[in-house]
Amino acid sequence: MIAHFDIDAFYASVAIRDNPELRGKPVAIAGSSRRAVVLTASYEARPFGVRSAMPLYRALQACPQLVVVKPDHLKYRELSKAVFEIFGRGGRVVEGLSLDEAFVDFGERSVETATTLAQEIRSEIAETVGLTVSAGVSAAKMVAKIASDLCKPNGLRVVAPGEEANFLAPLPVSRLWGIGPKTVPRLHARGIETIGDLAELDDVKLRSIFGSSGSEMRDLARGKDDRLVEPERKTKSISTEETFEYDVTEEYELLDLLREQARELSASLEHEGLYAGTIGVKIKRADFSLLGRQTHLAQPTREAKRILEASAHCLSRAELHGAPVRLLGTRCASLVFEAPLQTTLFE
Amino acid sequence: MKFTCNTKDIGAAVGAASKVVNAHTTVPILSNVLLTADGEKISVRATDLEVTLEHAFPAEVAESGSVTVPAKLFSGYLSNLPPGLLELTGTPTRASVKCERSNYDFHALPADEYPPLPAAQKGQRFSISAKRFRDGVNASIFAASGEEARGAVLMGTLLELENDSLTMAATDGYRLAKWQTTLEQGISGTEKYIVPSRALAEAARNLGSADRIEVCALGAQSNQLSISAQDTSIVVRLVDGQYPNYGQVIPPKFDRNVNVSTAQLISALKRAELVAGDRASMVKLAVSNQTMIVTANSDVAGNAYEELEVEQQGEDLTIAFNARYLVEILNHIDSAQTLMEFLGPLSPAVMRPLEPAEGANQMYVLMPLRQ
Repeated sequence: MIAHFDIDAFYASVAIRDNPELRGKPVAIAGSSRRAVVLTASYEARPFGVRSAMPLYRALQACPQLVVVKPDHLKYRELSKAVFEIFGRGGRVVEGLSLDEAFVDFGERSVETATTLAQEIRSEIAETVGLTVSAGVSAAKMVAKIASDLCKPNGLRVVAPGEEANFLAPLPVSRLWGIGPKTVPRLHARGIETIGDLAELDDVKLRSIFGSSGSEMRDLARGKDDRLVEPERKTKSISTEETFEYDVTEEYELLDLLREQARELSASLEHEGLYAGTIGVKIKRADFSLLGRQTHLAQPTREAKRILEASAHCLSRAELHGAPVRLLGTRCASLVFEAPLQTTLFE
Repeated sequence: MKFTCNTKDIGAAVGAASKVVNAHTTVPILSNVLLTADGEKISVRATDLEVTLEHAFPAEVAESGSVTVPAKLFSGYLSNLPPGLLELTGTPTRASVKCERSNYDFHALPADEYPPLPAAQKGQRFSISAKRFRDGVNASIFAASGEEARGAVLMGTLLELENDSLTMAATDGYRLAKWQTTLEQGISGTEKYIVPSRALAEAARNLGSADRIEVCALGAQSNQLSISAQDTSIVVRLVDGQYPNYGQVIPPKFDRNVNVSTAQLISALKRAELVAGDRASMVKLAVSNQTMIVTANSDVAGNAYEELEVEQQGEDLTIAFNARYLVEILNHIDSAQTLMEFLGPLSPAVMRPLEPAEGANQMYVLMPLRQ
């Protein structure tokens, strides 16, 4: 059995834990720069529409009484370390996804034992670290993750073996791994709204939508997921990619996507308190041949503008000359925690 | 074509030209150098379409004409020849070389497919002593950006002409080099050229030993620059773009300055940098009581402490720099003492030679590190 743990509104919870006066108030963690975005919002702030990655000025428009707290990445790393120690106790295999999220492998244990263990871990974190954690328990990684998402905050959701397909069936298809915002409208157009709809597709339809990865998607939709918990997975890079509905030849369309991805990666880097020293692009041509280009920066960055500058440069170096592109991705690597110390002449 | 020449002459010409060839070009003929025999000389030309280098040397020409040969291969061959004479016979598909008792045939590509020389239409021109030109290039281009992702403008060096004043400026956004001189023969009015820095490096290397260098804008839009002396000319495609307004970031005045031994500071910084580790190579300079204390530290390596006697004017100051940037600047200051000027720990600092070289003004701006 596998459990997925996720600290509830991690950064906001830390702020509330350390300043009880904030309890019950809408709290957002955000920097103080002109372009600051919300890193985490407390559950009290969410009914106002305050969400992660939202520009701070818009969050303040939506919720004028919002209490804004500056992030303390050093503290987050310390607390995350304490939480991960509890996850890994007794030699358990832990796969960290970010500072506040991890899979824990309970091996061959029964669903009952796994549930008890997950409960104990949650209690111990609450007592010793002072943070609440939600958990999903299942034999399949993806199901465990969706289960923990659904029971937030401070919940535990168990999906017993054999129940995976029933659990997933009513959920919107966008919950499924590998279904991005570009794919969802395509599925809706074909009448596929829920994961259950996808699970019932025949081979021909699957292939027309997903190509060769069709049967894999259906397996996932049925809760079949053989992926193992991979230990010691340190964040070496952060990336995002998107398959186009139709192959793209126009450079401006490729650049539009790179711009979107730069924004998304910039938010992820900020959320993780990281800076990237290497930016790369991944290109899958219409003939499925893969192509990668990367570039190193003199100063690590998390600014969307710099990420785009570098990824656009990589794209130009790929010399596509109008060759149709099926998939395009951006990757940030050489990640460091230190903010660039070098000040600049012109910015 | 057919000619006889000195192995040393042709070796030097092909060697210089092959440095311009882009090793990764996908256009086969651009891997080649073009040899043209005409009158009593041979010209060797290479181009990567951005920079074109042409060098001529004397030869006994039996039959004029042209041939193109693979640059790297041919220059490797020539550099291994003994001093003496060489005879080369060229056809569209082959270059045959005889030298003493060795005979080589190189596959050639048709010379008429070689890119033609850039437009000859001439614009503004000026001339400068070769030594001074080389000094200016050495003093400035190192500060240009090496990051392709940041674009060709910052990878270039700005040549700014205003009547008889020539300024070379280069910046990567973290530091700025500015070198200025007065020309004996300037232009009328003002011109700004952003020149790919590597073209200036090639020019300094190949033309630096000449007496004078002629610089001339080419093309209807003056989008190319020819830099030439005697038998060598370099033509470079200028960068199209807006150079940052660097004058704006140079503080007009400073409230404190330090006069320090250039060599002592360089060696203190080089030692301290070893300890600074990869944290942006941070060294701190603390100036107080006519003393500069250079410190650096890292968890891995330990602590560095260096004391230097300086002449201080104005208030005390602690400022941090990337040691590599500062050493690189000091290495280009040809003066026993360096004058460092400051406004505060987060403001641009300026370094300049206390005794400037005759006929040139040189200054550097370096942005500090946050501490």
